[in-house]
Amino acid sequence: MTALTIDRINKRYGNLHILKDISIPIGQGEFVSLLGPSGCGKTTTLRCIAGFERPDTGRILFGERDVTRALPEQRDIGMVFQSYALFPHMTVAENLSFGLEVRKVAPADRQRRIADVLAMVRLEGYDKRYPRELSGGQQQRVALARALVIEPSVLLLDEPLANLDATLRDEMRFFIRDLQQRVGITSIYVTHDQAEAMVMSDKIVVMSAGTISQFGSPREIYERPASQSVAGFIGRSNTIGGKIAEALGQDSYKVETPCGSIGATGPAGLSRGADVKIMIRPENINTRSQAAAAGQGAGEGGHSDNVLSGSVVNSVYQGSANQLAVKLGSGDRVIVDVNGRNPLEVGEQVALRFAARDTWLLAS
Amino acid sequence: MSAVEAAPRIESRSNRGSATWMVVPALVLLIGFFALPYLTIITMSLREASTRAVYGEGFTLAHYTSALRDFYIWGILGRTLLIGATVTVISLLLGYPVAYHLAKSRSRWTSLLYIFVLSPLLVGLVVRTFAWMIILSNNGVANQALQAVGLIDFPLQLMNNSLGVTIALTHVFLPFIILPLLGNLQAISPDLAMASRSLGASRMRTFWKVTLPLSMPGIQAGTILVFVLSISAYVTPAMLGGTGGRTMSVLVVQYLVDNFRWPAGAALAIIMAAVAVIFVGLYLRLTARAMRRLP
Amino acid sequence: MTRASSGVEKTIWDRLFTVLVAAIYIFLMFPIVLVVLLSFNSGEFLAFPLEGFSLRWFEALFSNKRFLDATLYSIRIAAVSTVVNAVIGTLAAIYVARHATVARDYIRLIMTAPLLVPEILTAIALLFYFYEIRIGTDYSIGIQIGHIVVTFPYVFLNVSSALFNFDRSQEEAARSLGAGGWMTFRRVTLPAIKPGIITGCLFAFVISFDIFNISLLLKSLGSNTLPLELFDYLRFNFDPTAAAIASLSIFMTFAAILIIDRTVGLRSLRF
Repeated sequence: MTALTIDRINKRYGNLHILKDISIPIGQGEFVSLLGPSGCGKTTTLRCIAGFERPDTGRILFGERDVTRALPEQRDIGMVFQSYALFPHMTVAENLSFGLEVRKVAPADRQRRIADVLAMVRLEGYDKRYPRELSGGQQQRVALARALVIEPSVLLLDEPLANLDATLRDEMRFFIRDLQQRVGITSIYVTHDQAEAMVMSDKIVVMSAGTISQFGSPREIYERPASQSVAGFIGRSNTIGGKIAEALGQDSYKVETPCGSIGATGPAGLSRGADVKIMIRPENINTRSQAAAAGQGAGEGGHSDNVLSGSVVNSVYQGSANQLAVKLGSGDRVIVDVNGRNPLEVGEQVALRFAARDTWLLAS
Repeated sequence: MSAVEAAPRIESRSNRGSATWMVVPALVLLIGFFALPYLTIITMSLREASTRAVYGEGFTLAHYTSALRDFYIWGILGRTLLIGATVTVISLLLGYPVAYHLAKSRSRWTSLLYIFVLSPLLVGLVVRTFAWMIILSNNGVANQALQAVGLIDFPLQLMNNSLGVTIALTHVFLPFIILPLLGNLQAISPDLAMASRSLGASRMRTFWKVTLPLSMPGIQAGTILVFVLSISAYVTPAMLGGTGGRTMSVLVVQYLVDNFRWPAGAALAIIMAAVAVIFVGLYLRLTARAMRRLP
Repeated sequence: MTRASSGVEKTIWDRLFTVLVAAIYIFLMFPIVLVVLLSFNSGEFLAFPLEGFSLRWFEALFSNKRFLDATLYSIRIAAVSTVVNAVIGTLAAIYVARHATVARDYIRLIMTAPLLVPEILTAIALLFYFYEIRIGTDYSIGIQIGHIVVTFPYVFLNVSSALFNFDRSQEEAARSLGAGGWMTFRRVTLPAIKPGIITGCLFAFVISFDIFNISLLLKSLGSNTLPLELFDYLRFNFDPTAAAIASLSIFMTFAAILIIDRTVGLRSLRF
């Protein structure tokens, strides 16, 4: 069942086409992130859902209810702002009470709900404080509580963690996600931070230049990106250009590249001779020095393994792993993660080994 | 470690010492020709009157006691305060919508509208009051217009009374309330109003519960400014107040320039200033309650 | 149902609000526009209907020696006030922004005080004071000092605000590149705060040209500023020549506003 339907909305400012035919179905209780660089239209989409912008065409439905022309206050939303937007002249309790008073909730009921939600965000005893007397993280939780206490049908979050420091941000990701799952509220989360979107979301909408690049689960988006730009935006990736030589199965292909023939996975229906890019994530590549590889024999990893050779041109120590840059025979550069201590040195010849199932073909 | 700390401190101290000359001319000007002169108002008000010189030999409180026993002066003081309060209230009622509109305005005309607000401030008082004389006189523009549409048969008395002074002063000092309010309203994050609406509050409720309370500092600053300016205004009541709209400033200048009664005039000026200070003090205490929750 | 009706209501309120605000803008501008209109009117009276375009009142104005003298006198007083304040106001602003420590708030308060008290009281104070220290009002020095005192805060505040908005690390960068204190000031700081100085000076000039109370009480015998001359003229006359004087003053003000708007933007004004 869809709790929220965004149906082909368009928005223009003068000559600028900010949103182009955006459609997103969101299920009951889902946590959906709108992810993209600034100016991609994610915030405008959120503001259309909230009612602060009105799309030029298209519809927005809350359940069965068409809210496209409704004012923000008529929509039954809860919203958390990047700036928190706590009312500075009201105490925490008064901030929380605001939406309940608008809804004419009886005083006794108000008190109980405020106490409940404060307990939920672990801020018992802070009800008499003013926002300025709270830390950034506490203000954040009050903002969350204020949006949740009215029990809205949709929770909208506009980069709520952007103003927090790194440690607190990590903590709040899990806090918000946990809270959202406990309450079971349908949530839409705007962020430009892909790591945030990955760990928090049920679904991610990757946006760029007013269109949706991809809509799917974090795993789909990471492992099966729809385009090179999505692959580049989410995590690190390597690409090697080539042509489809033959289709081996429904989603597996043999690709002819300057480094030789490579077995790869890709979307169904790629035709022979089509130009493609093979995407491989750095953590999916195994590295051996050429000498060690020669001693062990090649067939060990099974027939689906691909082996490329190259030389190490750069090595960066990153604590938990080393990041190597390897130059292939074709001239392409590939980034590889090597765990633990790194026995490989710049200039050394290496064999790169990766499974066909860890690759993904992108149309180029 | 202490040596490392000490080095920049010595340097900054020597910098400070060598920079003091920069502020000396301004301090000389403002102490020598602003602070000290204010003390002479007080001493002047305590001098004895004299018919042969500006003031006599001794000191006396007589100017205060006789002024405070004079019903005529009480009347003028009352009128001055009434005009000041009326101008302040009307200025707030007219100025708030303009400031609100200007703060929200995103159009390319905003800059022109800002000029509309600023220009009355920069056009001289005499010129602006003169413009109001053209409008408010017996055969002035206002009466012409009212007679043309048939609302009145005979000209209304719009000038030479408190009404004319109040109208003109409202115009003259309106920018002084718009500008502090504008600064205040622009400093309020638009997110707060959006948060309020997202919580279900209508635009009206959002205004009363969020925007208005947060703009109290601007209201306070602007109203005090307008009140002080309008009770001390001289040009406007002098030009179009006549005897019916005479205020304290006009009376003081009359004492000083026409009657050459400097000590008595000084006492009146101090009474005027003291009353202003008392009223502003009371007002501050009143508004402080409305603002105690603000950061 | 409620949604539709509230949508309609909202636009009605919006329109009413717009009309109200427009009316207030008209209220603000109408008297000024009126004066300018009537100064170009060929009719004998300061009233409608307009009879035709004419420059006769400006001719009357420029053939009147008293007005010409007053205009020149006002310009002279305003120019001296501006130049003096440009120097001492800028210096004081730099001192307060860069060097003052403990007494900073008090110094700032003193520097802006002439703006915080009614001009009429300052005029009275100076009148008594000049008498007491035997400067008196026989010469222009009294009125000149009065104008300098009253316009001082405008330069000080505008330069202070420019300094406040100026990123100090630019100065440190210049020093790190080997520039001395004076060179840093002349090549880095001064260009950055120039708009503030210009704005403050234009402002000081316009205010000095316009102020009345100081001039009324401190004027020396035989020389009137333009506002004083207009004030005196209106005691016995009420004709379009006065409108021509007023127009002249309005044009000057708008020229200053335009210059400020074009160079630094009006919103940077401080007063």
